Amino acid sequence: MNNPFESTKSVKSSLNSQNYIASEEISTIVYLSQKLGKPLLAEGPAGVGKTELAKAIAGATGRELIRLQCYEGLDESKALYEWEYSKQLLYTQLLRDKLNDTLGKAESLAEAADKLAGEEDVFFSNRFLLQRPLLKAILCDQPTVLLIDEIDRADAEFEAFLLEILSDFQVSVPELGTLTAKHIPFVVLTSNNTRELSEALKRRCLYLFINYPTIDEELAVVRLKVPDLNPKLARQAVEFVQKLRAGDMRKSPSISETLDWANALVALNAKNLDKDTLEDTLSVLLKHEADLQKAKRQMFAPPSSPRHRPDEFGRFSGN
Amino acid sequence: MESRILQLIAALRASGVRVSLAESAEAFSAVDLMGIQDREHFRLSLRATLIKDAKDIPTFDKLFPLFFGSGQPPLMGGNLSDDLTPEEAQMLADALRQFTESLRQRMERLMNGEQLSRSELEALGQFVGLNQIDNLEYQNWMAQRMMRALDFPEVREALKELMEQLAQMGMNRERIEQIREMIQQNMQGMQDQINKFAGERIAENLSERPRSENIDSLMNRPFHALSDADKKLLQHEVQRLAAALRTRIALRQKRSKSGQLDPKATIRASLKYHGVPMEIRHRDRVRKPRIVVICDISTSMRFCSELMLSFLYALQGQVRKTYAFAFIDHLESISEDFNGANADEAITSVLWRMPSGHYNTDLGCSLQNFNDDFMDTLNGQTTLLIVGDGRNNYNDPRTDIFSVMSRRAARTIWLNPEPPYLWHGDSDMPKYAPLCNDVLKAGNLSELVSAVDQLLSA
Repeated sequence: MNNPFESTKSVKSSLNSQNYIASEEISTIVYLSQKLGKPLLAEGPAGVGKTELAKAIAGATGRELIRLQCYEGLDESKALYEWEYSKQLLYTQLLRDKLNDTLGKAESLAEAADKLAGEEDVFFSNRFLLQRPLLKAILCDQPTVLLIDEIDRADAEFEAFLLEILSDFQVSVPELGTLTAKHIPFVVLTSNNTRELSEALKRRCLYLFINYPTIDEELAVVRLKVPDLNPKLARQAVEFVQKLRAGDMRKSPSISETLDWANALVALNAKNLDKDTLEDTLSVLLKHEADLQKAKRQMFAPPSSPRHRPDEFGRFSGN
Repeated sequence: MESRILQLIAALRASGVRVSLAESAEAFSAVDLMGIQDREHFRLSLRATLIKDAKDIPTFDKLFPLFFGSGQPPLMGGNLSDDLTPEEAQMLADALRQFTESLRQRMERLMNGEQLSRSELEALGQFVGLNQIDNLEYQNWMAQRMMRALDFPEVREALKELMEQLAQMGMNRERIEQIREMIQQNMQGMQDQINKFAGERIAENLSERPRSENIDSLMNRPFHALSDADKKLLQHEVQRLAAALRTRIALRQKRSKSGQLDPKATIRASLKYHGVPMEIRHRDRVRKPRIVVICDISTSMRFCSELMLSFLYALQGQVRKTYAFAFIDHLESISEDFNGANADEAITSVLWRMPSGHYNTDLGCSLQNFNDDFMDTLNGQTTLLIVGDGRNNYNDPRTDIFSVMSRRAARTIWLNPEPPYLWHGDSDMPKYAPLCNDVLKAGNLSELVSAVDQLLSA
């Protein structure tokens, strides 16, 4: 269980079985990162399947996926642990009689205080420790996959705080001492590159850059995830999306949007990519009004190329 | 193999990729793990451990094949003399006779598909001065020079003639076409060989280049003494310094443990404890400054201003709002140019709009422009930052406007590359200086960095 991937081939095939199509690059680097016990830093444009990769790894290894979504202002108490004050208060209330028994026999105030101090451990034990994702990943009895999503959204301080965890997989809680990981989790960090990550963090990770897929890769993904779409239409759709990406869009369509679109085409029972279908469904693909207009201009009014007649349609993809 | 990997790492560093010792050690353990049989796996294990930034990937992709070539010699079309009939061979020999000795040798070589030997390549490299080049941009140029040294253009011409000759002598058209193709391929093979050699040699030179101690010395070199190449290096460095600065400033603005009570947050936190305010929350005491920066972008000041603007825009998250203005003879708002663009391009576009002339810097007039159009950007929370040398070409300094501006702003800081003892001649600095809270000298990058640090600290 600890070393679930035996070779890059097995990474590829087991990710495939999770409906994730891994390129040679991805499977090699995933394999390496597992072998070296290093966190994997996946970077790339939004929606190319970075988060999906972590999920697929968890699925393929049968490990639990623990996810920490980063955002501005995320701090230790939300990422690591927090004392559960309300539960502590509740316990104090309910245990009042018991406490009275224990403390009642005390002769002096000092003795009572000493006795109470002796029971302190009860109130600062794992029972009252609210485990947040990072601590959970460290303390879990089973090996886990820890996904730290969109690390670039967190503040620089939080990044610094992650360093200790990522290099030693241990956490110090003042009241309890240092907690060391039972199993080193497989850590995947993702970043959309909205800001530069610190050198120190990068140094501790293996780097994987996931870019938009090639036509064939994307087609394979579409065929896998939307099996109902007819193959010819799927190819045209993917080619269309790739063409959009090549153009200068404010927000290029991601793979997930291609999939949404493919699903939409299935739902609308589209037979081919004609003008009406495109008009109806383009908004699934492009999320900016300006992009929509631009795409329509590009697609429907190219002065040089004549409109495709329906019988010629088969050749639309070719040239 | 190990020394080859080290050479690659050295070349990466020389090309501006930051590779730490820990990372190179990790590259070795990754290679140990993956083995070197599969070239693709080998490449990926090096890339995943050494390259941590998407923009460095192209550099790696360029250098990797130069150190770990595919090993196959370039494709040669084959040996011509093998499949010629005796008559054809005779014909060819006759046709060749008209050329000079050296040309004939070269052509025969191409026809036989004979590659250049290592020592020949070395000699060629020596001849064109390949050993002094340590910049991959010159690879093609070097390869071309080496081909010239081999008389490639003349040989090409001669071959054309030869083909015509053969046709006149009555050789079969198809045959000639075949010969032509084969020679073409051999020529291409030789070109590839030369190109590869040039690339490999340059990459090796790159890895042997002494570790750039120069970035530190560059930081302390005055702006006006920098070459264009140095400037490029520094631009790159600015990004890194800004990241470091950003972290430092962010840490400084950590949430306060005391100060003004934040009732809303406290009540929200108390919900957890049955409304008992167990946790007292305080207002964040984040003092992000608003900055109005006025930059002199005349020729003498351009680079300093450019770096300053790069800094300010790299630190965008740490300041509340930046308004940027540039002037030479008049003032324009340039904030829009910086939206999304990097400072380098933005400055270029601004300069295209505001070409600099000869000795036409006029701060007085520019201040007048500011007074007319942009005075409302200054308020009690604004830091007014002026980057310039205060050399006004004897125009009216308009200290009256400047004193109004300085009074409206919370703080006025002047960054001047010149030290006070140079403030004479057409410099109006002595007039402006008393109106500023601070005049900082920013004559080189390290001074500029500490100035930016100071600017954002208070």
